[in-house]
Parts: sequence; structure tokens; C-alpha cells
Amino acid sequence: MNTDVEDLLRQGMLRYTAELRAPAGMVRVAERRRRRRRLAQQSVTAMAALAACALVVLAVATSSGAHRDVTEKPTPTIDTAYLIKRVASALSAAGSVEIAQLTVISDGHDGTTTASEWSYGDQWRSLVYAPSGQPIFDAGGTSSTYTLVNYSARTWARQRGVAGQTEPPSPRSGCEQASADLSLLLRPGLLSTGPAASSLSASVVKLLRTAISCGTLTEAGQQHVDGIAATKLTSSRGSLISETIWVSPTTYLPIRVVIRPAPGSPAAAQAADITWLKPSAQNRAALTVPIPAGFRQVPFGPNVRTITP
Amino acid sequence: MAGDRSTADRSTAELERFLAERADHLLRTAALLAGSREAGQDLLQTAIERLLRRWRRFDGDPEGYLRRTLCNLAIDGSRRADRWRSKEGLLQAGLRQTPAPDAASDVDLRDALVRLLWKLPPRQRAVLVLRYWEQLTDAEAAEVLGCPEGTVKSAGSRGLARMRELADDWNDTAAAGGGWGKQS
Repeated sequence: MNTDVEDLLRQGMLRYTAELRAPAGMVRVAERRRRRRRLAQQSVTAMAALAACALVVLAVATSSGAHRDVTEKPTPTIDTAYLIKRVASALSAAGSVEIAQLTVISDGHDGTTTASEWSYGDQWRSLVYAPSGQPIFDAGGTSSTYTLVNYSARTWARQRGVAGQTEPPSPRSGCEQASADLSLLLRPGLLSTGPAASSLSASVVKLLRTAISCGTLTEAGQQHVDGIAATKLTSSRGSLISETIWVSPTTYLPIRVVIRPAPGSPAAAQAADITWLKPSAQNRAALTVPIPAGFRQVPFGPNVRTITP
Repeated sequence: MAGDRSTADRSTAELERFLAERADHLLRTAALLAGSREAGQDLLQTAIERLLRRWRRFDGDPEGYLRRTLCNLAIDGSRRADRWRSKEGLLQAGLRQTPAPDAASDVDLRDALVRLLWKLPPRQRAVLVLRYWEQLTDAEAAEVLGCPEGTVKSAGSRGLARMRELADDWNDTAAAGGGWGKQS
């Protein structure tokens, strides 16, 4: 019987795979995906070492609708100062009136990490915890100041006075732009500091609605998220990652986002709960990065200021 | 730097030539490891991506490297999915934990065995794929998986035991005239 089962299993494998043919151009696709994932991984690194960058990139992407297609750039350099300035103006234009507070769970190769995120206008903060529950990084800032506390090294750094650059307008159509923005919004590693957190907003709501009208997202009925009525949005089949977003039926602001990367993808699965807070003094206090007693101030090095592949 | 460019082009062309010959087989391996054709294609794509990273300086057997990467990705991916499944209710709605197997009908025991293969723990599944699809010895499979030969033997033994149980159930049901597959 044993041998029979082995033979039958072999035959079953042959039958199942008989018509499978590898598509042409896998190397080209791999090259494209490699570039995209390299960017995503840089962003994950950025979240751990410099959460500010990720926030700003995404906020720019969704608020302005005129970002460069960084996924197609083989060797991008993200200048934090420039991005901070960009997001400041973008968020100002969007007219943020509420604080977004996120609790994020990321499940990657290094285990499960959590992060608490806040964003309000041009203010933001990202506090990243290790799987053990200990804080790793606490980063935050405004359009003119960036602060990073490294709990592992017991150091902190601050940068003031940032310069900006100009950016060419995007030639994309509305749907192409929405799709690109959405992929940035939901890219693993960036979710926790994505536009869902960084702007209230008009820009996020507009992005989600555009994505639905373009078919990138589909409304999949009503559900309750922690007892709150929500409209469920799901990504289209064939997406590199599986995204599900629950939005408020009344405001259309996201209240929960879940991302699951494709099988085999090195990207992390992530889930984020988003709470929209009134900008009271108490809530705004959460946007300030505290400097723990005894931590040493260090210069803001170039490896912190920019992310270069 | 024309010289650099031609070197890069030649290397990529070599990889494309290699894949033109072996990608079909590797895709089949990946599909068996991943549990669906789509997931297998993505698995292979990811493995190729990893090979591509080091291709210019790669000095080894690309098929062996890809096979090893496929197994590692499949095993690691399953573990991560299991860990993720254990997380609380954030994942309840709308989050598909594992790739849905293709709608291959259980027309006979051979198909049922393949479907059972995807329900086995990832290492057992990888061992059976390496042994019965790739035709590797236990020692070779152990090298691919980076584990002791004894681990391969025990994982293969347990996987086959599950297969035998299924075959016995199948035969019992067929003998009783039930037939749990759609005979076509």
C-alpha cells in the first residue's frame, strides 16, 4: 500500500502540474518587483530607524496626488527635509482638523512588532515597539523639526530648518494615479505611517472613492468593527498584496486596514486600527516625542537624514 | 561604463536562458509547495528575484538555489501565516490566510492526495515534494531544507502516513459504494 500511495502521489503531482507553463518575462517581472520591494523594505527600515520618512512620503502621495512614481525609479533618494516640507504644505491644503491615532501590528521575518502612530496637520509621531514590548524608536516632528529617539542606543537626535525642492507634475490619469497612490498607501511597511493616519481628510477619502470608481477597491458590504458599523473595501483580485479597509459609512474615513502580502513575499502582514481624535490639548500632547532622562544627544547623521538604496 | 553594462546584460540574458529551460519545472515545484498555481507562480517570481540580486556574482547551481529558496519561502510563508492566524480579531474579516487551492476536482485518489499534500505541515509537504516530485534522496532533500537527514525521514514518514490514511478511507468509501470524489 505504501508504494501504491507513493506512486499515486507522484501521478497526482504530474496531473496537477501537467499544464503548468511558466509565463515569459519572469526575469523582467522579477526586476520590477525587486525594485518595488527594495523600496518597500527601505520604507520598513525607515519606519524602524526613521518613521518620519514613511509618513511624509505617503502623505505627499495622497495629499498632493502629484508625486513621482518612485516604484519605477531604480535608485531613488528620499530627502527627508524635502518631504517634510512637501507634506506640510499638502496637509495644510487638505485642512486637517482631527488627529489620527493608529495601533499597528506588523508580522514580519523579525517577529511581531507593534507601533503607535499619531498625526495632526504637519505634526506626527511614530512609536515603534519590539516584539518584547520595549520601545525601539520614537520619531516625530513638524514641517520644520524632526526628532528621533533611539531606545536601543539610548540616544536622540533633532534636526531643525529644512529645505525643499520642486517636483514635476505627474502625467498620470486619475485612475492610474489613484492606483499608484493606493499601492503606496497600502504597501507593507508603510501602512502604519500611511496617509490613513497622516491626513483626515479629504485626500484619503478622495483616494478611496477614486479607487472604488476605478475598480481598484470594491465595496464588500457592511460589517461591524469593534461594534462600530463600517463599510468593507477589498482590493481587486490579482493584486500583489491583499488589502482590506473598513471605512466609516458616514465619513468614509478608514478605521481599520489589514494587509496580507502575497504568499512568498518577504513583506510583512500588517493590521492597523485607526481612531480619529478631536484635537484637544490632551490629544495633541501625544504628538510630542519625549526625550527620556539620561539619553544622549547625537548629531543628525546623513544616514538618518536621507535614505539611499 | 559600457563594459559594466554589457556584463549586466549578458548576465541577465544567461538567467533568461536558464529559465527558458527550467522555469516550467520550477513553477510546478513551486505550485506543489505553495498549494495553488497562482501562489506557486508568485513563489517562483520571488525566488527569481532573490537569485537576481546575486546573479552577477552567482557561482553555483541556479536550479539548486531556486529550489532551496522555494522550499524556504514556502515553509516560512506557512509559518508566518500560522502565526498571523493566531492573532486576534483584526484578521477575522476579509483576510484570507492561505491561498485557496485551485478548484481541482477530486476526480480520483490521485487528486485527493495532492489536495491533502497542501494540508500537511509545511516541512512535511516540502519533503514529499522533494522526494516524490523532485526525486531527491533523503540526504539531498536534507541539504535543500538545511536540516538533518533524520528530520527529513521522519517528516516524510509522517506525511506518507497521512496519505495512507486518506487512501484507506478512500478505498473504504469506494468499497461501500459512496465514492467521495466526483467520478468523471
